Amino acid sequence: MVTNSMVGAVLTSVILLLAAAWFVRGAERVPGRLQSLIELPIEWISGIVRGTGGTRWAQFVALVAAIFLFVLVANWIGLLPGVGTIGIVHHDEHGEELLVPLVRAAAADLNLTLGLAIIAFVAFVSFGIRANGVRGYLKELLIAEPAYMTPLLTPIHIISELSRLISLSMRLFGNVFAGEVLLATMLALAPIIVPVVFLGLELIFGFVQALVFALLTMTYITLAIAEQRQHASHTGTA
Amino acid sequence: MEFQLLAAGLAIGLGTIGPGIGIGIGFSKAMEAIGRNPDAAGAIFVPYILGLALTEAMAIYALVIGLILLFAV
Repeated sequence: MVTNSMVGAVLTSVILLLAAAWFVRGAERVPGRLQSLIELPIEWISGIVRGTGGTRWAQFVALVAAIFLFVLVANWIGLLPGVGTIGIVHHDEHGEELLVPLVRAAAADLNLTLGLAIIAFVAFVSFGIRANGVRGYLKELLIAEPAYMTPLLTPIHIISELSRLISLSMRLFGNVFAGEVLLATMLALAPIIVPVVFLGLELIFGFVQALVFALLTMTYITLAIAEQRQHASHTGTA
Repeated sequence: MEFQLLAAGLAIGLGTIGPGIGIGIGFSKAMEAIGRNPDAAGAIFVPYILGLALTEAMAIYALVIGLILLFAV
């Protein structure tokens, strides 16, 4: 069953793949306008990763940049005119008209954001295992620093590890879905001029949420890599 | 069902008070820091966004509870 936000996700992938294919063939040493447009976000996000990602930033910069670009393009596609407003009219059992849009913002579906969060989860767990070994990772997860605190702290540790999955996915879903509802409400309340303000706000939110998802993935990976060295400083990252 | 609606509304409404205050404090401190040292704006930006995301997580838990109350109970 193809849902309308799946169409949005496929559209996002197609745009990114076309840009990548064009970039591989047509990239020149002196960038033109289109090439600069593609290079700008990649250079910006990899600059941030280089600055804050620790010594092994080169291993995960591609993953972080890919998450950033995908979420950013997916969020901004959801704001295009026609997305979410053009669709097929259905009649439900009470005889009321119901508009089913053809394309919706991809992240307005929990399945996509949960999928992205699972990718991030697998990434930071596997980076942690690769850096500290299976024993080191399990020791970090299951045994607290003063050994007698283990029965109290271990459940908290496991829950906070799993809550990263929930908070990553629900944050993106909640923001995009709430933005969609907000735009629809404002369109119904005041159809002229007022929604433009909220469209502008949604542009910023879409960008910030893409950045947040990418940066949190990066932070979790750096925490997992560095865990062995800094036992004492466990920040409560949920 | 009416009480479920009320409970969901209360969950998200009360649940956003704390994170709202927290994000406000974080933002005001970030602006203060940029005001004192405008050159550090780039260095402050990333930790600020991360802190904002972690504070926001509390509101997201309230949203999850609200959605559970509405659709899963």
